Amino acid sequence: MWFVSFVKSSIGKKIIMATTGLLLILFLAVHAFGNAAIYMGSKYFQIYADTLHGFPVLVLIFGLGLLVLFIAHISVGTLLFLESRSTRYSRYEVNKRVVENTFASRTMPFTGLFILVFTIIHVFGFNIAAPAGVPISVTVKEYLSGFFYSLFYIVSFVALAIHLNHGFWSMLQTFGVNHPRYNCLIAKLTIIVPVFFLVLFGGIPIYFMTGAGSAY
Amino acid sequence: MNTIDLTLKIWRQKDNDSLGNFETYTLRDITTDMSFLEMLDVLNENLTKEGKEPVAFDHDCREGICGMCGAVVDGVAHGPDKEVTLCQLHMRTFNTGDTLVIEPFRSRAFPIRKDLVVDRSAFDRVIQAGGYVSINTGGTIDGNAIPISSETAELSMDAAACIGCGACVASCPNGAAMLFTSAKISQLALLPQGQPERKKRAQAMVQQMDAEGFGHCTNEKECEMVCPKGISIRNIARLNREYMKGILMGE
Repeated sequence: MWFVSFVKSSIGKKIIMATTGLLLILFLAVHAFGNAAIYMGSKYFQIYADTLHGFPVLVLIFGLGLLVLFIAHISVGTLLFLESRSTRYSRYEVNKRVVENTFASRTMPFTGLFILVFTIIHVFGFNIAAPAGVPISVTVKEYLSGFFYSLFYIVSFVALAIHLNHGFWSMLQTFGVNHPRYNCLIAKLTIIVPVFFLVLFGGIPIYFMTGAGSAY
Repeated sequence: MNTIDLTLKIWRQKDNDSLGNFETYTLRDITTDMSFLEMLDVLNENLTKEGKEPVAFDHDCREGICGMCGAVVDGVAHGPDKEVTLCQLHMRTFNTGDTLVIEPFRSRAFPIRKDLVVDRSAFDRVIQAGGYVSINTGGTIDGNAIPISSETAELSMDAAACIGCGACVASCPNGAAMLFTSAKISQLALLPQGQPERKKRAQAMVQQMDAEGFGHCTNEKECEMVCPKGISIRNIARLNREYMKGILMGE
């Protein structure tokens, strides 16, 4: 069975991580697009939310798809983390990394875990356990006007940016995209992509926290 | 002639089944023109004179092309100098009074035989799994009968520069052998002679690599940094492509 040996192999697991990672980045892009409506005012954000939830079947199907991606990314990632744990630490008396700037790659499992915790809180807060009968734009404004709630969101987006900094590059390398012609561009994208999401998502709690969004 | 005094902390281990420990030795008046292995030779001569067991370490050509030597010096495989093997690392890299911690290349797949000597035959089994071309019949083909662009030939030669020393595995946080395997796959995948077995090769070698207990790649780039032959992780990207083509589209 080719699929079994694919999943069992080290490269196969990495390809699953990269593929699910890519699809999750695409989800983030769509999510960021919708959320950006909030910068134009709560009214527009409400229009976007109402339009999106006007297709409950599609939201359900795509939501379940997203859940599958999440579970695949997390479970294979956890498996890889556990596999490497035995070799990863205290193998040598002197531990030294020649590569500079390994913070993002070293903390991948931990930033990933932080994003998972954030996702659970986020989905509960704004979807499953959202106050009934209140428009979502009002809930967002109420929650994100709180200092600690907003701070938690900002910290989570920083964790996401760090995760993407290594994840984006690692994904391309796993897909075999490494060529001197494009490596300069890829190196720039490993900064641009995380910063893009950090600004777009992180701007929202700042927007409400500072009171800039309260008037609309 | 410059000389330096050193303190060495060396991993001593009787055999694979024994527990190892660090022993500390002091060396005086080491000429800075000596190579690292020559410095170890001096230590071993002293130890032999004292009636002690000399430190076992692997070495052969001592000119950086055989891939036999290697140890982790102060946490870096083959020591602090870039793109050199341990035998080509010279004592001028160090200062008098330095303490050097010398450890064997550690990996689940590399059992320690004695002191700094590790068994790297796992690499041989990865090669046996598919790192070859089969030419079953016919006479020797003329060298220039198959045209290859010089760029491709160079890329293949760059990959073929791998001497299989194992520094990539030793330095990888996950103990992965991806750089080694990717170099061995790339040198053949780039040339016409490597085409018939191309789709099977990556699958077979990766399967063997995993079976030997090497870890997986998390794209940390550490291997590329310590490789004495400067093998690029571009080869790992090629291995990933080869593997995908093989397993997703192979017969």
